[in-house]
Amino acid sequence: MTPAFSCLLLCGLLSAPALADEADISNFLNGHWGIGSDQGGTRFFELTWQPEARWRFDNGGRLTGITRLRWQTVAGMRPTDMERDSYSTASRPILTSDTSELELRELYYERGMGDWYLTLGKQQVVWGKTDGLKVLDVVDPQSFREFILEDFDQSRIPLWTLNAEYAIPDWMGGDWTLQLLWIPDQSYHALPKPGATFAFHSPRLVPRPPPGVGVRLNAPKRPDRLIRDSDIGLRLSGFVAGWDLSLNYLYQYDNRPALYQRPVSGPLPILEITPKYHRTHVIGGSFSRAFGDWVIRGEMGYFSNHYFLDSTPGADQGLAQSAELSYVLGMDWSGLANTFISAQLFQSWLPHYHAGITRPRLDTSLTLLLRRAFWNDTLTAELLWIANTRDGDGLLRPKLRYEWRDNLETWIGMDLFYGDRSGLYGQFDDNDRVTINVRYGF
Amino acid sequence: MTKTVLILSSMLLTSLGTAAANLPDGDEIARRINARDEGLSVVRDLTMRMTDRRGKSRTRETRGFRKYYGEDKRTVIFYLSPKNVKDTAFLTWDYADPERDDDQWLYLPAMRKVRRISASDRGDYFLGTDLTYEDIKLETRVSIRDYHRKTKGEDEVDGHPCYLLESTPVDAKTARELGYGKVEQCVDKEIWMTRRARFWDTKGKPLKTAYFRDIRKVQGIWTQHRIEVENHKTGHKTLFLFSHVDYQTPVSDKWFTRDALRRGL
Repeated sequence: MTPAFSCLLLCGLLSAPALADEADISNFLNGHWGIGSDQGGTRFFELTWQPEARWRFDNGGRLTGITRLRWQTVAGMRPTDMERDSYSTASRPILTSDTSELELRELYYERGMGDWYLTLGKQQVVWGKTDGLKVLDVVDPQSFREFILEDFDQSRIPLWTLNAEYAIPDWMGGDWTLQLLWIPDQSYHALPKPGATFAFHSPRLVPRPPPGVGVRLNAPKRPDRLIRDSDIGLRLSGFVAGWDLSLNYLYQYDNRPALYQRPVSGPLPILEITPKYHRTHVIGGSFSRAFGDWVIRGEMGYFSNHYFLDSTPGADQGLAQSAELSYVLGMDWSGLANTFISAQLFQSWLPHYHAGITRPRLDTSLTLLLRRAFWNDTLTAELLWIANTRDGDGLLRPKLRYEWRDNLETWIGMDLFYGDRSGLYGQFDDNDRVTINVRYGF
Repeated sequence: MTKTVLILSSMLLTSLGTAAANLPDGDEIARRINARDEGLSVVRDLTMRMTDRRGKSRTRETRGFRKYYGEDKRTVIFYLSPKNVKDTAFLTWDYADPERDDDQWLYLPAMRKVRRISASDRGDYFLGTDLTYEDIKLETRVSIRDYHRKTKGEDEVDGHPCYLLESTPVDAKTARELGYGKVEQCVDKEIWMTRRARFWDTKGKPLKTAYFRDIRKVQGIWTQHRIEVENHKTGHKTLFLFSHVDYQTPVSDKWFTRDALRRGL
């Protein structure tokens, strides 16, 4: 996407097209300030302007456009600190300077036609029922600019998608919807560059060359055939006898690249790393149901083909291939007024495992969320705890949110990583921070 | 003299007893309230203005759809403003069968997911207002199974004569769930709509008072257009204003689905 085209879109979103019968325009200004909780100092300072527009047409159709202009001053968190090759040219944000980027977040037309509902364009497609961790929410890739700290709504990378839904009422004792997805947009997870604040260090995720060996990171080998390399998804979701159910299937390029390693001999030995994307089938399902004060929910996904780092000497380019079975079981409790407690068990299992793989065969994480609202929901206190039981590391996120006025809210929070620095969360133990946030809508 | 006083007292008591006997009993009033025509379906806008004890106000604008399916009822509410909560939506499938829990879903735009929520928190306050989820669900009706009722007498609200209906939860568990130890409603004698409701908490202390005003016919159906609620414990108030009430435009079943929550208005 060219800068000129993006600017045109941004301007276009701010003025209602003449063809629309009704226009609804919103703007959000966000300010985020992060201070190191150990040694102080600004860890990030970011301003975001997100204009959103929705136009309604006489025929019942709607056109929605959302853009985001983000300005970040602190080195390590700037747009230039992110790998950009993982985006397709149609979805890549525009660097407007070293410290700012402009992104067309969403632009889609939607319309119901009888039992069909079509959504065409750049959009977010969200599957699954988990909070904070993802199993089936893999249709769209994610930016790891702030690891998993950023709201998924903001970190998810919307894709150009044909999304067709077909309603099937009164079938097999319930109401069902069949969703068909065709995604010709070849964008994948956006990862921080080496040296960025949230660049991955854990040996689970990135190769560690022997001492004295340099690293050369090549450009990723990415699919580039519009039709043949597109992703296809299917979801059947329904409500039967009190149960919310879904069956999901996705044929996609795994959003995580396999990191192929090749030693290059010479006066200065080098480990050459080439990211490459592979196809995988994802088969899964989800459920949820309320029982009195409780809601139980869960989801499961089987990934036919994942690549993991393999430290076994002589391993094929430092990689091992295995299927992966992941699932989450969650319970929400709201038996006390204005209080919400939620716990989740997340497990991931590799059927084809050997000792050289740098992650455990069975990986287990737990999450606990405590939330209580005060003063007619104007003040909310929250604590989120995510822990990996295998590595003993985790993340604590206390947060206090206050709604000052209808369109103005602020929150102060902390992101506290702990545990072994080789762990998924412990690798960011130096990134603990206090955050102050302001959000204004108009 | 003493004999005269006794006779007069006896006559007065007899007279009062006769008057009380002429009043409809509590269950009859409840039956009349619930027998009112509410229309098969309705579309309406609702503005909720919440004001705290310091005078700080927040306003929510919504559009709601409600439709009966026999004795069962489905209700969906979409938030239109302010921007920070716009597109939030709440769906309830309310079953007449007392053994069956309602099904409820909430769509939060920041999550981009329709979330199943427990229906048991009916005593929780509805999205920051001073009415509970149960109050919102019942609308102008009363719950038969949750209360014992008796008629206390007569009163008047805004010049409208009404019966005083006192309702007490059937047991302590129900009282805790509802958050009320007692409810006293002033029910209009002519149109069988509540004009005023006083609520006490489970410890017997005054909790809140609600006035139901601007009641007028819309398409032949008596309809409240203004509810004023004040919480005596917190000093918080909520003003509910109904507008664009329409009982006649057909409401599609598609509004009452999880897909509709996600897609919004």
